[in-house]
Amino acid sequence: MENSQARVLIQKKESLIQAFLAGKEPFFLEKLTRFLDEYFFTVYEKSITAGKMVASQHPFAIIALGGYGRKEQCIHSDIDLLILFDAAVPPEVEGFVQELLYPLWDARFEVGYAVRSIDECIAMAFDRFDVLTTVLDARFICGLSLIYSAFKERFRRQLSGRYYKQALDYLFDHGIKRLENFGDSTYLVTPDLKSGFGGLRDYHTLLWYAKIKSDIKERRDLEYYGFLSHFEYETLEKTLAYIWDIRNRLHHITGRKCDTLHFEYQTEVAGLLNYSNPGDQPDVEVFLGDLHAHMEFLKQVNQITFEDIFASSRIRKEPAAPHLTKTPGLVIQKRRLYFANTVVILQHPELLLKIFLESGRRRIPLSIEARRVVSEFVHLVDEDMKADPENIKIFKKILALSFWEFNVLNVMLSTGILEQFIPEFGAITNKIQYNHYHLFPVDKHSIRCVQVINSFREPGTNVITTLYADVFKEVRNKNLLLITALLHDIGKSDPAKEHSKTGAAIAGPILKRMGFNATEAADGQSLIQNHLLLAKTATRRDIFDEETAIYTANKVGKIRLLRMLFLLTVADSMATGPKAWNDWTENLIKDLFLKTMRILKTGELASKKSQRLIQQKKMKVLALLKESGQDHDILQLLKSMSGRYLLYMPAIHIADHINLYRNLGDRQFIWQISKEKNSDIRTVAICGREKPGFYSKIAGVFFLNRINIVASQAYPLGDTHILDIFKVMPPRDRLFENEKWEKAVKDLTQALDDDLFLDKVVDKIPDRITIASGRRPEPNQVRIDNETSSFFTIIEVLTYDFAGLLFTITNALYRSGLNVNIAMVGGKVDQIIDIFYVRDLENDQKIRDPEKLKQIKTAIIKRLPQIHAKEVVNEKN
Amino acid sequence: MKKIEAVIKPFKLDDVKEALSEIGIYGMTVTEVNGYGRQKGHKEIYRGAEYVVDFVPKIKLEIVVADNRADETIETVRNAANTGKIGDGKIFVLNVEKAVRVRTGETDTDAL
Repeated sequence: MENSQARVLIQKKESLIQAFLAGKEPFFLEKLTRFLDEYFFTVYEKSITAGKMVASQHPFAIIALGGYGRKEQCIHSDIDLLILFDAAVPPEVEGFVQELLYPLWDARFEVGYAVRSIDECIAMAFDRFDVLTTVLDARFICGLSLIYSAFKERFRRQLSGRYYKQALDYLFDHGIKRLENFGDSTYLVTPDLKSGFGGLRDYHTLLWYAKIKSDIKERRDLEYYGFLSHFEYETLEKTLAYIWDIRNRLHHITGRKCDTLHFEYQTEVAGLLNYSNPGDQPDVEVFLGDLHAHMEFLKQVNQITFEDIFASSRIRKEPAAPHLTKTPGLVIQKRRLYFANTVVILQHPELLLKIFLESGRRRIPLSIEARRVVSEFVHLVDEDMKADPENIKIFKKILALSFWEFNVLNVMLSTGILEQFIPEFGAITNKIQYNHYHLFPVDKHSIRCVQVINSFREPGTNVITTLYADVFKEVRNKNLLLITALLHDIGKSDPAKEHSKTGAAIAGPILKRMGFNATEAADGQSLIQNHLLLAKTATRRDIFDEETAIYTANKVGKIRLLRMLFLLTVADSMATGPKAWNDWTENLIKDLFLKTMRILKTGELASKKSQRLIQQKKMKVLALLKESGQDHDILQLLKSMSGRYLLYMPAIHIADHINLYRNLGDRQFIWQISKEKNSDIRTVAICGREKPGFYSKIAGVFFLNRINIVASQAYPLGDTHILDIFKVMPPRDRLFENEKWEKAVKDLTQALDDDLFLDKVVDKIPDRITIASGRRPEPNQVRIDNETSSFFTIIEVLTYDFAGLLFTITNALYRSGLNVNIAMVGGKVDQIIDIFYVRDLENDQKIRDPEKLKQIKTAIIKRLPQIHAKEVVNEKN
Repeated sequence: MKKIEAVIKPFKLDDVKEALSEIGIYGMTVTEVNGYGRQKGHKEIYRGAEYVVDFVPKIKLEIVVADNRADETIETVRNAANTGKIGDGKIFVLNVEKAVRVRTGETDTDAL
């Protein structure tokens, strides 16, 4: 069903939209409202049914409700209508509704309507409070105005009488529920322009509150009745115009009543609003930053409203007289902090900071008035004041008082005092990061990060939160950690990618200003520069590889820094959003932390000196190989070499080993035998593909060929290869030495292919050996150290040397299901300590099972021969 | 069509993604999962307290490809995820009955 009025309406609306999109229509909302009014008026005037109803003593009024009532009609906003009768509702009204609304429905207007008598409507408004709020916005369109005014009068009488408190309670509870349902929209990257926090609903709530309390008629009255200051009212007007503009464009783009600025629409809306940014930051981020700033204002409006509602309805029974606080110049009234007067601020500008300290300590919020005063007097926080150690102390105390439940820092941010105190912070205020990962603008995120750190003060309920609390307790300079948390993303003001580095540079002067000494400032800068290190390393590198922990340990450098970095990483991730933080990430980061801590606590591998040595050695190796340092493969190979190997192996040998590796080809192993100068000893360097028991098999083959091992070392070479170095005595028969080596190669090849090949050698291990010692021999000892390394079980064997010793031990290890990853077999003549870093062949980890550890110990002891001392003959006799 | 599910080490994700994009496969679902298999959990000690990790963090990839691309995809994932060590993961291949692209209604290989 379509009528000519509907056609007129559609046409008018269409050209209105065109004008709006062309940027030529500043009064869109009012005009669309007026067109709708005109439509209803004309249809009413021309309607025969309406005339009949009026004639049969059933006059009525057509009333606009909700947003339509407030004359705030966006492109696809609902149209809420009330057809109000004096007394009984006649049946003919159905025909009229069809006449009035069907053409609109056909034209896809979202029209909702109610047909009620005054009695019904009043009863409903006070029964269902969502009806109450729409009625609060009621506006007469056409019909019999007397009915409207009679209704309004009765409604008003009851509202200011028996329903007053109930209505305020409803507004209050509704606000709490809204927070639960929609969250804090200004913080979310997909803000809900209407219902979210910082959305239009915040303004509606203030309007309803003012209507309930003072019966104001229009938005303009908010200032006249003192609900907003002049400045606030002006800002409100600008904010509403801005948000309505976006809302209209969003409606237009989506073709429906869509109030959530979803991710996929943001770029388009930014384009429509002609955001173009000369800098590097994407337009859409600038747009979202603006939007957030506007929404932040609405949120403040909401806070004002709520605190007012709270004060006027909830705690009316509390003593109204102000009482003093311990800070002279600050008073508490109705659970709100106030300045005693504004003159006192001029005399003591430090009160502008102290009020936040008092608020944080007592968990009593600043009153709206106090917030206004802080905003207006913010300029009093000048350079002198900022440099005053007393004030810095106050600021540090405030940082430590910022918690989830009660957040002083957020109020410091919204009043502008935080930016005044740390001007650099201004550059990240309302700074949006346009992606799914970051849910919060940088400033809010930084504050959340401080809150998370403070939450570590409580041990929490589970193992992991206890760990955070334990580590936090060990952090000596908690102030530094908190400041670092606040500043860790300060580099994001610079659109270039490396915000950690930039941030460290920006933070340097701030830390100094905050009274931290040179070491502390350097620590803070290092934390900021490395604040992504743990999270990145844990997810992008193999944390079961010892080198990963060594790499991290080197980067961090100090135990105290690692502790702080760990907590900063956890807090940063938690404060970013659910995509950055879950059990999965938590476990990886925690694991990396614990492993790195172990390296730092025990290892020489992570010291500055050893790092320097390793670096120098790498350069030397490249020089020896005549490599320019550009060859990717060589650099990769050097990178994959273990720190231990690089630290202890001379450069010349490393170069030899690299050549050995290059010549390996398809073979299982390759070796190189070299004679040492001035010595009979041969060095056998073996490079091969990793295979269980490799090391043990070499030892076995040497034993089989009567080649005595003096010393040996085993190292992994990357993930897939191994490098074993043996120092051996040459075979007794020098004439056929080469033949002997050739046989050994053959034997080793066979041993690698056939696991049982060396079993025959096992029988040759002696049961007992006799040593020439003046003293009673020490018994064989096997020590197992499972604490020192996160990656290996370390087995130390103390015994006396004999031919086949290394094979005896390593064979026992291999048969116990262990892989020798690293070995350091000593070269003393007499009693020796052999050290093996082993992992379980089954799962490539250190051995956890105490039973298995015991078995290993027994297996080695059982294989070792009994030690007997030779009787010493007294030479003098 | 085949669905290829691969459970791999987290730090190998980038390598695998890159290798797949080299053979023209860009679409996949990535999930952070916890594995419990031969590579058992482990414990760490911090100030006397034990922190046990019962499972090992892993990444699960799900890729659906046309039948004739399955072998190539499996091989690519395997090569890229391989470190030669225990815990490198597993690849499962399942038959897929039907695929529909929600936006257009295209079906089967057109929907991939």
